[in-house]
Amino acid sequence: MAYVVLRKDRFDDFVSALSAQRKVMAPVSRGYNQFEFDEVHSGREIALSYIPTILPPKKYFMPQRETLIQFNSDSAEAVVDFYNMVILGVHTCDLAGIQCLNMVFSERPKDYNYLVRKNNITIIGLECNDYCDKYASCTLMSAELPNGGYDLFITEFDEYLLFHVSTQTGEDIINSVGIFEPANASHMSRLAGYRRQKRSIFNKELPVDSKDIAALFDKSFNSRVWDGLNERCLACGNCTNVCPTCYCFDVIDEPALDLTTGRRYRRWDSCQLEPFARVAGGANFRESRGHRQRHRYYRKFSYPVRKFFRYFCTGCGRCSRACMANIVLKDVLRDLLREHQ
Amino acid sequence: MARPKAAFFDFSCCEGCQLQIANFGESLLDILNVIEVVEFREIMSEKYDGTLDVAIIEGSINTPRAVERIKAIRARSKTLVAIGACATTGGVNGIKNVFPLDEIAGYVYGGNFRDYETIQTMAVHQVVRVDYFVHGCPIYPPEFVAVLKALLMAIPYDVPDYPVCVECKLNGNVCMYDRGVSCLGPVTRAGCNSWCINNDNICYGCRGMVSNPNETGAIDVIKQYGLSIERIVNKLEMYNKCRELNPHG
Amino acid sequence: MNRQILNSSHFSVERGVIVKARELSPHDKLFEIALPEGKRLHHDPGQFVEVSVFGAGEAPISVCSSPTQGDTFDLCIRDVGRVTHTIHTLREGDTLGVRGPFGRGFPVRLFEGNDLVLIAGGLGIVPLRSLVQYVISNRRDFGKVSILLGCKTPEDVLFGDEIEQWNKRIDVHFVCTVDKADPEWCGHVGVITSLIPEEMLIPERTFAVIVGPPVMYKYVIGELLKKHIPDRQIIVSLERHMKCGMGRCGHCQIENLYCCCDGPVFHYDEIKHIEEAI
Repeated sequence: MAYVVLRKDRFDDFVSALSAQRKVMAPVSRGYNQFEFDEVHSGREIALSYIPTILPPKKYFMPQRETLIQFNSDSAEAVVDFYNMVILGVHTCDLAGIQCLNMVFSERPKDYNYLVRKNNITIIGLECNDYCDKYASCTLMSAELPNGGYDLFITEFDEYLLFHVSTQTGEDIINSVGIFEPANASHMSRLAGYRRQKRSIFNKELPVDSKDIAALFDKSFNSRVWDGLNERCLACGNCTNVCPTCYCFDVIDEPALDLTTGRRYRRWDSCQLEPFARVAGGANFRESRGHRQRHRYYRKFSYPVRKFFRYFCTGCGRCSRACMANIVLKDVLRDLLREHQ
Repeated sequence: MARPKAAFFDFSCCEGCQLQIANFGESLLDILNVIEVVEFREIMSEKYDGTLDVAIIEGSINTPRAVERIKAIRARSKTLVAIGACATTGGVNGIKNVFPLDEIAGYVYGGNFRDYETIQTMAVHQVVRVDYFVHGCPIYPPEFVAVLKALLMAIPYDVPDYPVCVECKLNGNVCMYDRGVSCLGPVTRAGCNSWCINNDNICYGCRGMVSNPNETGAIDVIKQYGLSIERIVNKLEMYNKCRELNPHG
Repeated sequence: MNRQILNSSHFSVERGVIVKARELSPHDKLFEIALPEGKRLHHDPGQFVEVSVFGAGEAPISVCSSPTQGDTFDLCIRDVGRVTHTIHTLREGDTLGVRGPFGRGFPVRLFEGNDLVLIAGGLGIVPLRSLVQYVISNRRDFGKVSILLGCKTPEDVLFGDEIEQWNKRIDVHFVCTVDKADPEWCGHVGVITSLIPEEMLIPERTFAVIVGPPVMYKYVIGELLKKHIPDRQIIVSLERHMKCGMGRCGHCQIENLYCCCDGPVFHYDEIKHIEEAI
């Protein structure tokens, strides 16, 4: 378990050196207190203090649109397009999201498009010392502290950044850049103090034990809460598109004008959209917006628990932030809890 | 294989959608490899009155003469494509329907307005059968090409029946509501790849509304953001006035 | 950007050749498909494949022939969308893309030694045909076999010639009913539940299989339960839009189940508490 230290005034050098090696993606400001992961070439472009980005880093693992097959009149090849890249500044909630997707796409039959891309991505995490805003429920989802899933992990202090080196890939980066110093006992005790301090800031956001949420959902299928969402939801799909653990997709063909060459690609899809569960004859198996919202919540707090033994919510709060109808995940959970008090 | 014969016709419109196509640049040459354009008054002077494989219609129908003309075009065309908001939803011309006919005709033509026959504005499909729709004001060029390909393959083109927000989010845009601006993206059907928002503009709803919008929910949202309902309704009317004539349009 | 060719992608397709194409109705065509180099599909009755035409896309289609048919398999395709419309334009000798087979088929092992009541409504005969053919090919492995078919009108009855053959057999009991008859119709008229054999039905050794439109399941299952057929022995095949066939894309999800992997064939006891199922 190695820790190294980088003086803050060398952060820019670190990012420049890294971007000379490969693509570096990091959170950048888009104004209006909105952030997005984008390619950077220097540390100055990076917003180290940011609230969850508009889209989670899943877009690098499973791009919005991704070619699966390239075809022409007499052959078709399965392909994967990828970059060798570093994602820098991934919060613990998003690390948890990536862990969820890893489970989904590693299951048999394995999804090689995802796995090839994953194998070419290096992850540098970044610790949060405080809540991003009122929408987060990361403590409830046990995602407020680092829990693996990174090559390097940064904890920020006033005058330096402390890096946890977790993998050989991470170690190689540290060595290749060569501007780090080994951490000493005082660095480590400051980290311990920082984590202690965090425990007083990050408190379980709802009066429920995380482990009891699945049981709550077992008895909430016909809750009136879903009727309420039916009235409010605009079925815009924002909540699923910004979710770090939503992975539904559509498969679409795009021929060229000659109609014989072209590509088959997948694109993010959303269970919130009207046509999602419609079949060829026209029947729609989740016709109401309320049922579609219910489905989304069960895909976070119930169904994956049975299959992957974990919640597929990271508490990042994106779905609440992105909802124009102000459907807030914490409020929905609170309402469900109240029904059973 | 012979290229299908295609002709462009315009009705009440600004001809801006045809201009989009005329401005395709090199990709227009690719298109001319797969269709034979026999009439297109923005780029050629030839006319054609024979049987057509494809009639591409811009503009809405708002005079008795236009009704006859579009019916005649339909009768000699195997496939008919409506392009642009005027043709697919009635577009801005639909605002005419807000007023009594005589009043609006008088406003435009003055005292002699009865010399100019006029009727309520209609989208093309409200008069004749339309096989393909390319929505938008103006049309989004890649969608026109996608529709053309579907047409050449003789398969339907499904206009996305979900809101612009879907494509906007995929593009990672900052939501206009977070910028304090009202945007019709949440109720407008996608297919434009959130073209306007990508370019820092709001969605004006030019593609028409999704088939099952949550209108009461949308009103709640507008109130919540402190926006004026009247203003939004005005914005909606800009492109959606003809919707009342045909709820399934 | 780097591009790598994937030899093991599950999105890769085999090119199937159409060896025979036959019109069954104005909307339905039957295609007999052969995979390259005499390769067999190795499907179970009730499984489905993803069929594609590059440029138009992919669609889930149930295999409607029995694996006992040999080197080829049949797909009955209704012209309802982009992909199926394009497939209808294909002729003998043309190729289409095939992925699969996917999903869980009918539990034919469990059926052995038991009586079968096979119930199809409308297009449900298409997936069920694979099972009927399988049962007929292995007829001595099963007890009494009844096939009940319900259609809207006589015109909607697919596989007329084949059904005529089933009707003539001494080892299956076949009945067909329509909601609305025409003057030439000499079969039953009325609801399909009226055809469920009353006498001679021994619930504990009867398996009932239902394939039909969504509205049909509830009342047919109700009728079977009245006749004391155990939940476990009522088998249904559910229709959803399976897009990837790998339990990922989400389109065919029924609560926690994926129709493409956990189904499309389910025992009633597996889905009776699942509200979204039927």
